[in-house]
Amino acid sequence: MNATSTTLEPVFAFLESTLSTAQTTFDKLPGSAVVLRYVKSSHRNDPGRTVLELILFAFAVWTLLQSRTRADRNGKHFIQFSEKEIDELIDEWIPEPLAQPLTSTEQSDLASMPIIAGPNGPKPKLVSTGKTAVNLASFNFTGLAGNEHIKQRAVETLRKYGLGSCGPPGFYGTLDVHMDLENDIADFLGTEACILYSQGFSTVSSVIPAFCKRGDIIVADRAVNFAIQKGIQISRSTVRWFDHNDLNSLEEVLIGVEKERKRRRGPVTRRFIITEGIFQKDGVMVDLPKLIELKYKYKYRLILDETYSFGAVGRTGRGLTELYNVPAEKVDILLGSCAVGLASCGGFCAGSRVVIDHQRINGPSFVFSASMPALLAVSASEGINILRSTPSIFETLQENIRTARAVLDKLDCITIPSHPASPVIHVNVRASHPAAPPMSPSASTGSGSSKHQHSNPQSIVSSKDKSQLTPAEYEGEERLLQEVIEECLGQGVIVTRAKGLKGQEVVEPRPSIRLALTSALTKKETEKAVGVLKAALVKVLGKRR
Amino acid sequence: MPFSSPLPSPMALNKPPPSPSIFKKRSSSALGGPIPSSAASYLTALSQADARARNANGSPTSTPALSLSSSVTSSSEDTVLHDYADNDSNANGLLLPARPPTSEQVFTTVHTEFGHCANEEYRTTSQHPPGTPLPPHVEQDPPYYILLSTYISYLILICLGHVRDFVGKRLSPASYRHLMPRNGYAPLNSDFDSFYTRRLKTRMDECFSQPVTGVAGRTILLLDRISPDYNHTQIFTGTRTRALNISSYNYLGFAQARGGCADAVEESIKRYGISSLGSRLEGGSTDLHTISEALVANFVGMEDALISSMGFATNSTIIPALVGKGSLVISDELNHASIRFGTRISGSHVRMFKHNNMKSLENLLKEVISQGQPKTHRPWKKILVIVEGLYSMEGTLVNLPAILELKKKYKFYLFVDEAHSIGALGPHGRGVADYFGVNPRSIDILMGTFTKSFGAAGGYVSGSKALIDRLRVYGHSGPYAEAMTPSVLTQVVASMASIMGIALPPEMASSSKLAIEQEYHHPGPAPPSSLPSWLSLPPNLASGAEGSSRLRRLAFNSRYLHNGLIKLGFITYGHPSSPIVPLLLFNPGKMNMFHRLMKDRQTPIIVVVVAYPATPLVTSRVRFCVSAAHTKEDIDTVLKACDEVGDVLDLKHGLPKRQRWTVEEIMKRAVELGTMA
Ligand SMILES: Cc1ncc(COP(=O)(O)O)c(C=O)c1O
Repeated sequence: MNATSTTLEPVFAFLESTLSTAQTTFDKLPGSAVVLRYVKSSHRNDPGRTVLELILFAFAVWTLLQSRTRADRNGKHFIQFSEKEIDELIDEWIPEPLAQPLTSTEQSDLASMPIIAGPNGPKPKLVSTGKTAVNLASFNFTGLAGNEHIKQRAVETLRKYGLGSCGPPGFYGTLDVHMDLENDIADFLGTEACILYSQGFSTVSSVIPAFCKRGDIIVADRAVNFAIQKGIQISRSTVRWFDHNDLNSLEEVLIGVEKERKRRRGPVTRRFIITEGIFQKDGVMVDLPKLIELKYKYKYRLILDETYSFGAVGRTGRGLTELYNVPAEKVDILLGSCAVGLASCGGFCAGSRVVIDHQRINGPSFVFSASMPALLAVSASEGINILRSTPSIFETLQENIRTARAVLDKLDCITIPSHPASPVIHVNVRASHPAAPPMSPSASTGSGSSKHQHSNPQSIVSSKDKSQLTPAEYEGEERLLQEVIEECLGQGVIVTRAKGLKGQEVVEPRPSIRLALTSALTKKETEKAVGVLKAALVKVLGKRR
Repeated sequence: MPFSSPLPSPMALNKPPPSPSIFKKRSSSALGGPIPSSAASYLTALSQADARARNANGSPTSTPALSLSSSVTSSSEDTVLHDYADNDSNANGLLLPARPPTSEQVFTTVHTEFGHCANEEYRTTSQHPPGTPLPPHVEQDPPYYILLSTYISYLILICLGHVRDFVGKRLSPASYRHLMPRNGYAPLNSDFDSFYTRRLKTRMDECFSQPVTGVAGRTILLLDRISPDYNHTQIFTGTRTRALNISSYNYLGFAQARGGCADAVEESIKRYGISSLGSRLEGGSTDLHTISEALVANFVGMEDALISSMGFATNSTIIPALVGKGSLVISDELNHASIRFGTRISGSHVRMFKHNNMKSLENLLKEVISQGQPKTHRPWKKILVIVEGLYSMEGTLVNLPAILELKKKYKFYLFVDEAHSIGALGPHGRGVADYFGVNPRSIDILMGTFTKSFGAAGGYVSGSKALIDRLRVYGHSGPYAEAMTPSVLTQVVASMASIMGIALPPEMASSSKLAIEQEYHHPGPAPPSSLPSWLSLPPNLASGAEGSSRLRRLAFNSRYLHNGLIKLGFITYGHPSSPIVPLLLFNPGKMNMFHRLMKDRQTPIIVVVVAYPATPLVTSRVRFCVSAAHTKEDIDTVLKACDEVGDVLDLKHGLPKRQRWTVEEIMKRAVELGTMA
């Protein structure tokens, strides 16, 4: 007893001295006496109150630290300036220009953008040439564009509802035709409910932050489209990436995440797998049954963006779920676009009632934006009716796709990553040095991944992307493809490069020509148009060698 | 939900018993004149007027602000007939104007969509008196007992909610299952996160997401619904109710199923079909896009413009293309969600200043420019100040002259979101710049939406040609988002052209380049060459006469309602010229009651009530959105209803009793109220 107290003596002495210095410094602070008196008296009257106030104080400090937009005035990096210095600094400050003018390449790119005179469709007229051309660029898979019945229904709707809805859905912007379309889509896909957004592109970037919050886990494909990337960014969730369309890589990441959680003994958080049905960047298709199996095995929820597969594949165009014969309710959150699939406008999200109702309050671009015009909703509903009753549309479409692939697959100056059933076909220049693989394995099963080394799931950049193009090579390929496009245009075929946001994509996709096939052209017409493209490719790319 | 008002009522029972209420009796003479007794008599009057006009053969614009388009008049009859299928009497006073048209008056609009109002006295010009500063916005405080009861209301609500959760979780765990972790899945929405929604908002669900049908014009048809289980489910009764619509963003009344704009849209559907089929850069651009963008640029007075198919997405995809890492966005604290979304995506630093407070903005500017970037103290690459022209929850106007003054000194770039102000403000409807008489080109970026004044959808950004070209390539919408559809573009072009009028502009066209920094001249009418060749507007629209009349009707209605409510003794927010008129309710329980009492009147009126989190906790409010489609009598109806409901709910905490006017006096002195600043 005595021994311990003697050994502890210096410790006590030290504690005492620090306490007293702390007290004197505290006493020196202006107003400290008041605070002290206040604390003492309040503690004497009501000890519980002290605890409460301490908690409140801690909470206040915590929220102040949390706030990202707090004033830095008291931060340790704040520098005190005199008024004069501030004025000088303000005078000296020269901002960068708001917008750099476009470079000449960008300008010519912009100028070469095809502009259509009059109605767009399978054979529109071009403003630049004044002639009609065969359109392999615009999204009209189902050939609903220009459908007279839909037009007539649209006019009838116009005469009953006017055009704009003049309000967000929460405030008298929900029309009966919106509810009808939501029911139509839910019924068509076989989900419990559905919600409409007024633009396809902003749908997914609004759906993701509605569900995924800070601390949740997202496992996403490396090549997801830009809208998904932005949705993930704004959600502030923890992201892990898996190799493009490689479900083995996905499984490894899922195992890794689970291990990490176990090690940290973290609580169960919401976990999501985010991927696309047919990828916007290269037309690759995901193996849905395998994906669903994985999601159940590891207890994830699946967010599937079907923008380019809804109204594109399956016997009646219901998308991947129909193609693989998977009940749509197994996909927790299924997104699609009425603009691409139904030749109207807007996007949708289908799922269980809980999933949908949650978005009606939490989806930013649903809550804070006007609902879509009535006539576009009715057009989409009519589109669904037509798809339901006319499976021949998709027979024609698939036949056209097979025809096109038969022509293009034979060419050895190009590679095509896209799935053989995808109406979106990306054409890459075959690299002059054969070592560089295309952006993705072209097989849709994801089985060919045994050899390569595994990438770091925390980085969106895959180890396979090491062999990426240099900027010069990149521009070179773009120029070649642009030449091909002009050549086609001269022959009366509109094709387009896959346009992207240079410098803003996390991984730049390889330059490609993106075809969008349509059932509105006959097999002959498709064959001829793709033949023109083939000839142009051979001519331009052949020159290169 | 507790009521601090003396009128307790079961909250979630949506339909009151059909017995006549005191309100019905009192409001039966709401229209201030004899209501035409039957549809037949009205139709006879209408067709007689039509026949007279056809025979008159005179110049179409000979009657004041009204002109004739015979095809439209005859088609409007169809709609009137069609309407009678829904409501078979004019007992609600909404179907027919208070007075049948006289022999000189021929109306080209359907009264239920766009009200007939021939009295030229009920017009004002929307303009800031030059040389005067914008009066600061004062937020009037209610008496303490109101504040106290509001806080207590929320406290009770929160306590009750927790008690119900506590008991509910034990008694009926099934109904909480989706909020609890299950089978290794975390809930999509935890019971904590959803507390506000489940326990507070659900009580008021009757006021939200009311489905409607038909045109969101002067009146709207509600699809009646009831809830048997305290708002967990809503059941449609199958009946419909026509209500006076003072809630839609239909400022200029272009939400119409009949008339020149709708005719143009029909023509465009026939010519262009429904969709543009793709993004702007990948084969979705048509000549109509080019034409519309040029017209929008001309309308707002900028060099060039870019149209995007959704207003929200205009902000969320354009702001990231303007600023990024190393830039600073300074944002008004009440800016719209789309602006916050865009700035968050952009990765730039964000700071906020107090709503419309120029002192706060200037202090912040001094601090951020002198301090530079956090930690490194490097100078900012650029600073973008983002404000709205007209704030949608407050009705406040941006203090544009003061901001432009600051801009000269602090060299920031200015982005003005004109979603609510474009078309709705200014003598020529060109938004806040027009209202204050400043040159729009002194602002760097003007953004706006077409969902509001133009009765269309989507949005635009405008600025210098170099800037817009950059946004075409670097904005996210360009390569990825679907282009605007031809029908929507046509509505934009047609409504815009009717505001501008179609004519060759006067001389100054060539010298406008030089005059950039000088006195502001608003751009003249739209030259015929700037419109699609197939577009033909009826003479009243093409001459700009109707557009100008709409602008002046809107300005009158806004001021009349705003000043009328103040004179009645209510607390309102915002600027008198603003078509958004918020009326403060404070107590959460009054929101439901106000909504219900307005809707269940003999002339049903639908209103928007907003509360936390869209507003601060205590200042729950009703937000009226005035339209040019309203007649003076409609505003009378609203004022009368507010007067009665306001007495019942104890809402008059503004002017002291002695200074208040009676509603009769207000109606009599409408012209005075509608034209005073
Ligand atoms: C200031 C502001 N910006 C943008 C928007 C979005 O416009 P839209 O409804 O066309 O998507 C709104 C709509 O309420 C708004 O108030």
